[in-house]
Amino acid sequence: MSQNTDLLTLRSVSKSYGTVPVLHDIDLSVRDGEFLTVLGPSGSGKTTVLRLIGGLEPLTAGEIRLDGQDISRMPINKRPFNTVFQDYALFPHMTVSGNVGYGLSVRHVQRKEIARRVAEALELVQLGRFADRFPAQLSGGQRQRVALARALICQPRLILLDEPLAALDLELRRQMQEFLKSIQREIKTTFLFVTHDQEEAIGMADRICVMQAGHIRQLGTPHELYYKPNCEFVARFFGENNLVAGKLGPVQGEQRPIETALGRLICSISGQPHLKAAPDGASAFAAFRPEALHLADSTDGDNRFSGTIADLAFAGSSTVATITAGADTAAQRLRLRTPSRIDGSALRSGETVSLSFAPHEGHLVLA
Amino acid sequence: MSAGVTTQPAERRLSLLVTVLAFALPVIFVLVPLAIFLVYSFFSVDQGTIVYAPTLGNYVRFFTDPIFLPVFWNTIVLCVSVAVICILLAYPAAYFLTTLRGRWRYALLMLLLVPLLMSYVIKIYAIRSILGLNGFLNKALVAIGILQQPSTLFVFNMNAILLTLSLLLIPFAILPIFLSLERIPQTLLRASDDLGASGLQTFLRITLPLSLPGVASAASFVFVLAIGDFLTPQMVGGISGFTFGRILYSQFGTAYNWPFGAALSVALAIVVICAILIGERFGRSRGTSV
Repeated sequence: MSQNTDLLTLRSVSKSYGTVPVLHDIDLSVRDGEFLTVLGPSGSGKTTVLRLIGGLEPLTAGEIRLDGQDISRMPINKRPFNTVFQDYALFPHMTVSGNVGYGLSVRHVQRKEIARRVAEALELVQLGRFADRFPAQLSGGQRQRVALARALICQPRLILLDEPLAALDLELRRQMQEFLKSIQREIKTTFLFVTHDQEEAIGMADRICVMQAGHIRQLGTPHELYYKPNCEFVARFFGENNLVAGKLGPVQGEQRPIETALGRLICSISGQPHLKAAPDGASAFAAFRPEALHLADSTDGDNRFSGTIADLAFAGSSTVATITAGADTAAQRLRLRTPSRIDGSALRSGETVSLSFAPHEGHLVLA
Repeated sequence: MSAGVTTQPAERRLSLLVTVLAFALPVIFVLVPLAIFLVYSFFSVDQGTIVYAPTLGNYVRFFTDPIFLPVFWNTIVLCVSVAVICILLAYPAAYFLTTLRGRWRYALLMLLLVPLLMSYVIKIYAIRSILGLNGFLNKALVAIGILQQPSTLFVFNMNAILLTLSLLLIPFAILPIFLSLERIPQTLLRASDDLGASGLQTFLRITLPLSLPGVASAASFVFVLAIGDFLTPQMVGGISGFTFGRILYSQFGTAYNWPFGAALSVALAIVVICAILIGERFGRSRGTSV
C-alpha cells in the first residue's frame, strides 16, 4: 500500500461522443492508496474520466492499465472498481443490508459471510441501526453512506466517487467530507473523487487533477496547485487570486521580474524550470493571493504600488477589500484579505493606500 | 401580493364547476348504474314482467343450479390463462422496446398499439378465419408437418376463445409493462453492473422486480377485459365454448330475465373488483422509488 506505486495509469486516453471530442489525449497516474480528486468546471470531462475508468463507457483511443495490465476492454462487471454514483443509485426494492450485500451476493458469497461483512460495513459507515430500512426511508446523508458501504464491501482496488456530495446541504457536506477522508484512511483504499467544488477538493485530496475543456491542466498536491499554479486557468480557478498581466524580465537567480501596469513586480520562480526557460519579454501574469497582499508604508521600490479601496466586505474571520490600483487607463482590480478585528478594520472605503507583497509570495504564470 | 392571489369570480366559478364535474361524472355514469344493478338483482320476473319485491331467489339460483358455478369457475380459469399468456408474450416485447433508442422505441410501440384503433368485430372475424379449418394456422401446421390434416382444435371451442382473447388483449399488457420498464433509472442497472452482476443477474434481481408493478397492472387489466367480454366467446366459442359472459348476455338478451342477469353481473363485478384490488396491491412498488 505504498503511495508511490502506480495503481492505475491512463495513457493517451481520448473520448468522443460521435464527432464531439470530450477528452483529448489524457495521461494520468493514480497512486496506490491515495485520495485523488479530479476537479474541473462542468463540461471539463472530469466525469467522463471516471466513467471510462469504471467501464461505464468505452474509450475512443488510448489505454487504461491496472497494475501494468491493459484493462481498456474489460467489461464493467469484471473490473475491481466500485462506483458511488451522484444520485446514489440505491436499489429501491431492497433494504439497506440488501443493497450493501448486493455485490457479494451476485458473487455467490455464502449467506453467513455476507451477513457478517454487511454488518461490518454498516458499522463502518455508522448505519448499523438502519439495516432493515428501505432507501426511501433514509435521509440524503444516510443514503450517501449506504452507497459508500455498498461500494467498499467488495474490497475494490479503487473507489470511484462521482460528485457524491453535490446533493447535500453545506453543513452535511462538510461532515461527509471529513467522514469520507477518515474512512479512506481507515480502509486504505484508493479513492478517485470527482467534483467541481475546489473547497471540497482542497479539504480531502492528497493530490488534485485540474481539468478544463477535456485537458488535464495540472496535477499536484493542493499546496502545489495553490502556490504554484502552472497556467492562467488553474491560477484563476483554484482559490481567489490576483493576476496582473505584464512582460517577463531577465532571470535573477530564483526570482524573475515582470513589468506590469503596477510597475516592476518581482516573483519567485523556484522549482519551476519552465519559468526560468521562458524568453525575456514573454507575456505572463504576476499572481499573488489576497492574503499575500498587505499595506506598506510607501510606494517606493519593487512590488509596491498604490491603490484605492473601492469596497470592504466583512467575511467573518477575515475582511476582504476590493482595490483599484494603477493608472486610470490600466486600472487593475485586486483583492486584499486581512484578519478581521473586533474593533473594526484599519481600512476605510475610498482611502488611497500603499500596497506590497513579498517576492516569495508572488508567482508567475505564462499567458 | 394579495391582488395576485385573489381569483376572479368567474374563474372561481369555473374551477368549482370542474370540481363538481370531476366528482359527479363517475358517480352518475358508474356508481349509480352499478347501484341500480345491485337493486335489480333482488327483484324477480314473472311471465316477462319484473316483480319489484325484494327476494334472494336469484342468488340462491346462482349458487344451487348446477349450470352456473362451473361455468363461472371455468371462465375465471380461462381469463387467468389469457392474462398469463398475454404477460408471457408482452413482457419480452416490452423489454425489447426499452432496449431500442429514441425514435424507434416509440415508433414500434405505436405499431404494437395500432390494433387498438381497429374495430373489435373485424379483428375477431380476422382471427377466426386464421384459426378456422381452412385458415392460415392449420395450413401452416400441415405444411411444416406438425399436423397430418387440418384440425378443428382451434375454432368454436374454449381454445379458440383463449387464443382470440390473448391476441386481442396483448396491447393492453404491453403498455403498462413497457411503462414500468421505462421508468427504471438506467443508473440502477449500471450500479448493478458496477457491483459485479452479470446481465442475467441484473435482469433477475433489478429489472424484473422493479417491473412487477407493471406486470401486476397488466395482468389485472387483461383479466378484467377478458372476463367482461361476451362477444368473442359468442363469435369463436361455438357450442362448447360457453363462458359466463355469454350466460349473462343471454339473460338480458334472449331470456329477458333482467333481475337474474343483474345478480350474475354482481357476481362478476365482485370478481372484477377483487382482480383490480389484487393488481393494485401488487402494483404498488415496495419501498417506492428513491
